[in-house]
Amino acid sequence: MAQLPQIDSLAAPDKAVARSTRKRRFPALNLPFLVVVGILVCYGLVVVWSAVANDPDYSFSRQAAGVAAGIVAMVLIWRFDYRRLAGMTRVFLVVNVVLILSPHLPVIGVTTMGATSWINVGMQIQPGEFAKITVILLDASVMARYGGRLDAPREYCKALGIMLVPFLCIMTQPDLGTGLVYLFIAATALVVGGARLKYLLVTLGLFVAAIVAVFAIDEVLKYQTADGTWEYRLLKQYQRNRLLVFLDQGGADLSDEGYNLQQAKIAIGSGGLFGKGLLQSSQGTLGYLPEAPTDFIFCVLAEELGFVGAMALLALYAALVVVCIRIARGSGDMFGMMIVMCVVGMWLFQILENIGMDVGLMPITGIPLPFVSYGSSFMVVNFALLGFIGSVWAHGAASGKKEGYAATH
Amino acid sequence: MVVAIVSALLALAAVAVVILVVFAVRNRAKGSYASVKKGVRSIESVGVSSSLPDASRKGPSAAATAAASTENPADSLKPRFLAMGVLGAGIFAALAARLWGMQVLSGGSYAREAAENMYATVATPAPRGIIYDADGLALVTNRSSLTVLADPDVADDRDVLLRLSAVLGVPYNVVRQRIQDASSGAQSQRVVASDARLRDVAFISEHVEAFPGVSVQTRTVRDYPYGALAAQTLGYTGSVASDQLETLSEGREVELGDDVGQTGVEAAYDDLLAGDHGQRRVIADANGNVVEVVSETQPTRGSDIHLCLKGPVQYACDKKLAEIIAPSGVIGEGVGVGGAVVVMDVRDGGIVAMASYPVFDPSLFIGGVSQDVWDVYSSEESYNPMLNRAISGQYPAASTYKAFTSLAALECGICTEDSTWVCTGSWDGWNTGQPQNCWDLNGHGTLDLRGGIVNSCDTVFYAIAKDFYDKGQAGQMSPTAMQDFIAKYRIDQPTGIDIGGETTGRIPTPEWKAEYFRNRPEEAQWLGGDMTNMSIGQGYVLITPIELAVAYGAIATGDIMRPHVLKEVRNADGEVVVSFQPEVVATPDVSEEDLELVRDALNGVATDNASVAASFREAGVDPATMCCKTGTAEVAGQNDYAWFACYGPKDDPRYVVTCVVEQGGGGADSASPLGAEAMGAALAYDAGTLTDMGTVAGFGGESVEVTVTSTGRTD
Repeated sequence: MAQLPQIDSLAAPDKAVARSTRKRRFPALNLPFLVVVGILVCYGLVVVWSAVANDPDYSFSRQAAGVAAGIVAMVLIWRFDYRRLAGMTRVFLVVNVVLILSPHLPVIGVTTMGATSWINVGMQIQPGEFAKITVILLDASVMARYGGRLDAPREYCKALGIMLVPFLCIMTQPDLGTGLVYLFIAATALVVGGARLKYLLVTLGLFVAAIVAVFAIDEVLKYQTADGTWEYRLLKQYQRNRLLVFLDQGGADLSDEGYNLQQAKIAIGSGGLFGKGLLQSSQGTLGYLPEAPTDFIFCVLAEELGFVGAMALLALYAALVVVCIRIARGSGDMFGMMIVMCVVGMWLFQILENIGMDVGLMPITGIPLPFVSYGSSFMVVNFALLGFIGSVWAHGAASGKKEGYAATH
Repeated sequence: MVVAIVSALLALAAVAVVILVVFAVRNRAKGSYASVKKGVRSIESVGVSSSLPDASRKGPSAAATAAASTENPADSLKPRFLAMGVLGAGIFAALAARLWGMQVLSGGSYAREAAENMYATVATPAPRGIIYDADGLALVTNRSSLTVLADPDVADDRDVLLRLSAVLGVPYNVVRQRIQDASSGAQSQRVVASDARLRDVAFISEHVEAFPGVSVQTRTVRDYPYGALAAQTLGYTGSVASDQLETLSEGREVELGDDVGQTGVEAAYDDLLAGDHGQRRVIADANGNVVEVVSETQPTRGSDIHLCLKGPVQYACDKKLAEIIAPSGVIGEGVGVGGAVVVMDVRDGGIVAMASYPVFDPSLFIGGVSQDVWDVYSSEESYNPMLNRAISGQYPAASTYKAFTSLAALECGICTEDSTWVCTGSWDGWNTGQPQNCWDLNGHGTLDLRGGIVNSCDTVFYAIAKDFYDKGQAGQMSPTAMQDFIAKYRIDQPTGIDIGGETTGRIPTPEWKAEYFRNRPEEAQWLGGDMTNMSIGQGYVLITPIELAVAYGAIATGDIMRPHVLKEVRNADGEVVVSFQPEVVATPDVSEEDLELVRDALNGVATDNASVAASFREAGVDPATMCCKTGTAEVAGQNDYAWFACYGPKDDPRYVVTCVVEQGGGGADSASPLGAEAMGAALAYDAGTLTDMGTVAGFGGESVEVTVTSTGRTD
C-alpha cells in the first residue's frame, strides 16, 4: 500500500510532461493566437469597408494594403529573436527621442491643426505612432533589468525618469492622446514589472497632483486676447471643451465638441440589438458622425451591427488579451513577458479610450481602435507588435519545443 | 424599475466575470506552481527532470536573459498579472454594460434621434385661392411664373453662377446672393429668377449639363387682372416675416418663405385663401443636401373667396377718385391730395366698393417688394399709398355731423320741428366779443331745423349746442347729453369690418379733453366753444369714412349694420362652405318722426343745393330720390377737406356712399361729384347698365406741391 502513492506521483507529472512535450503540427505557430488575430483583422476590415464604401476621401484598398504590409512586418519580426534586443535600453531611448522629435526637423516636418506630429518622406507619416513600438521595447527593457522586483527607491526613480522621456518628447508636438498611451504603457510596465505598490501609489498621487497643478497654473497664466476671450497657455481650448463636454453630458451643448459626442451616442444607441445592417449606417454615411472611419469607427460598427456586433468585437479583444497574457506567463523570460504585457496594456487603454469616448465614459481624444480604425500606419504598428508577441512565443526561453525550433536556426 | 433590475443583473454578471477571471488566473498559477513542485519531487523519485521545460533554462540561451532566478519570473509576479486581468475584465465589463444600456435599453430613443437627423420635411407651396367679386368676376387670380431654382451648393460653383448670370441677365453677385439666401429653409432650392423669359428657360433646359443643380419650376404667383383696382381693400401678399409666424392664426401651417396675406382681404382671410402645403419627406445629410426623396404629397389650392365688391362699381370709384385727385397721375395737378370712397349696401352691410387714393400697385409686391419701390411708397411726396383711407383715415366730420346733431337736439328736446333761428352770418352766443362765423357770412336769415340742415347753417347748430351746454351746466340734463346721443351711432367705435387696419373716430367729451390735455391743465377745461365746434363736426371731432357710411346707413334704415367685404367662401369644388350672415350691431333708439324729419332735410340738400343736384344729374341719378349731406372740414395749415355722404333711393334705401377728398376744398364742389358718381354706378350696375371694367393704374409716387388757399368754407 505504501508504494501506491509513489505510483500516483509517477502518474501525476505525466500530464504536465505530456502537455509540454506534445508534438505540434506547426511548431512555430500559436494557433489560438493566430485565429483570434485573423478573425479580429477580418472583422475590422469588413467594418472599415462598410464605413468607407460611400466616402471618396478614404480608400479601402489603402487599408487592405496596410494589412498586407503589416503581415509582412509581423512575419519578419516573428522570425527575429527578440532576445537580441534585450539590454539595448540606451539605443531605444535615442531612437525614441529622434523619432518623436523628428516632426520638428525643418524640411520634413509638417504642422497641421496646431500639432507638429507629421513628417513628409514621400508620404505623410506620424512618427509618434511608430514610436509606440520603441516605447514598448524601451519600457520592457528598463523593467526587465530588475527581474520582477523593483524595491530600491533610487532605481524606481531612474526607471520612471527614463520611461517619462517619450511622453515629454511627444508633448512638444503636442499630442496629448498619444502621450497618454505612452504613459499607460509605462504604468503597465511598472505594475507588471514588480515595482513596489507603495511607489506606484505615490506616483499615482503625484500624477493627479500634476494635473491639478496644470489647471491651477493655467488659470494664472491665462491671458486676454484682443477680442476679449481668455486664452490658456498650457491646455488648448479644444482640450478644455472636450473635458467640459465629458463632465457635463446632460447639457444641451450640441455644438462642436458636444455635437460629436451626441452624434456618436445616437449612432451607437440607434444600432439597437442587431443593428441596421452593413452599409446602412445613416449617421455615418450621411456625415452626421465626424471622422467616422477613423476615430469613431466603433460607432459605425455599433450602428450597423448592433449590440451583438459590438459584443463580438469586445469578445475578440478579450480573447486576444487572454491569449497574450498566456503567452506572457509562459515566456519565462522577463524581457519577453514585459513586451507582451506592455502591448496588452496599450491595447486595453486604446480600447477603453476609443470605445469609452464614443459611449461617453471617457473624454474625446483622437486615439484609434486597434485593428479596426482606418489608417494604415497604426495597422502596421499593431502587426509589428503582433510580430513581437509571436517572437516572444517562438523564442521565449520557457517553451520546450523551441529547443528544436532554435536548433534549426 | 426594469432598468434598475437589468442594471443590477449586469453588475452581477460583471462581478461574476471578474471572479471567474481571477479564479482562472489563480488556478493556472497554482497549476504551474504544482507542476514545478511535482517536477522537483519527481526528480528525487524518478529522475526524469531533463525532459521538463524548466530544466531547459540551463541551456545556452538562458545566458541571454537578464533573469537571475532560474524560476519563471511570471510566478513571482502572479498578483500583478491578476491586476492586469482584473483591469481588462473591468474595462470590458464597463463597456459592455454601457453598450447594453445605450443600445438595448434606450435604443428606441436614440433611433428616434437618428431618424430626426436623417429625415427632413420640405414643404412645397400651395397656390392661393382666387378672390372674386359679388358676381364671379375674378379680381385676384394666380398665374404661373417660370422660376429658375438652384440647389444651395451652386453658390460655390463659379462657372455655373457666371453662366446663370449671362443667361438671365442678372448680375453675378445678385445671383450668388439669391442662392445663398437660406430664408426659405436650408434644404429648399433657392429662387434665382422668377418670371424668367421662356427662351432663357429653354436654353437652361437644353443645356442641363452646363447647369448642374439648376432646375426650372412653374410656380404660381398672384395676378391682378385689373391692376390696382381696390388694392388696399384686397391687400397684397408677401413672404412671411419671422415675427409674423407667431401671430398667425392657429392651425395655419406656414413655412418660412411662404407667401401670406399682408393686408386687406388677403390678410383677413389668409387661412382660407392659403392652401395646404405639399410635403416632401427627404433624407438629408449633415450638410443639408437632399440625398433621397422618400415620399411626396401634392399641394392643394386654397379656397376661393367671393366678396361683396362689385367690380364695375369699384372700377368707377377708383377711376373717378384718380381723375379728381391726379388726372395725369401726379398728385397736386388735380383737386386734393388723397381721398376715399365707401359704397355700402345698407340692407346687409356688404361693401360694394371701397376705394382709396393714392393706391399702391400690388403687382410690384409679387415675389417681394423691391427697396426702390418701398422707398417711393414711404416717401412724403407719395402721400402714403399703402393706407386704406376708407377705414384708416381719420378726418373731422364737418357738416355731415349735423345730421346727428339735429337728431340729438330733437331727441333731447332742445328743439322741435317748428323751432326757428335767425342767422346773420356771425354768432356770438357766448358774448366773448369774438363771434363765430357761419360759412355764409351774409347770413341765412330765419331758418327752421330743416332749413338749417339743407343750408348747412352753422348758426342754427351753434345755438343748439349752446342750449345743450347751458342745460348741462344748469343740471337740467347730462352735460354730455349730445355726445351720449351721437355715440348711439357708434362713430367713435370700430365698425367691425372684416378687414384689418381699422381706426376709430372720436366724440369729444369733457372727460376726454381733460385726459387729452392732462399735461396742459389750462387747456383741459371743457368750454362752450368746444360744444359749438362739435355741433358742426369741427374741433376735436374725428371720423372715418366707413364709420360715417355705417352711421348714415342707420339714418336710412334705422339699423347699424356690421360692414363686411366677404360674401361667401367656396371650396375647390365650388361649393359654398361659408357665407357671411348680415349682422345688426345696434338699433339706435330714435323716434321715427325725428328720423323722417332729418331724412327729409337730407333729401332737401340733394334737391336744393344746386351743385349737388347737378352732380347727381351728371351721374344719371335723380336728386329727388337721394338723401345727402356735404361737409367741408377746416384743418389748420391745410386746404379744406371735402366730405360727401349720401344714401338712396329715399323710399327704399339700398346704398349708402361716403367719400372724402383730402385738401379737396368744398364738399359740394369736390366731393359730391365723386359720391354721386359712386351712387350712380351702384344703381346703374343693379339696373344692368354698367358693365365698364378696366385696369386701374397704381400711383407712381409723383406729386407737386399743393398751395394752401383757405378761402373760407362753401358748404
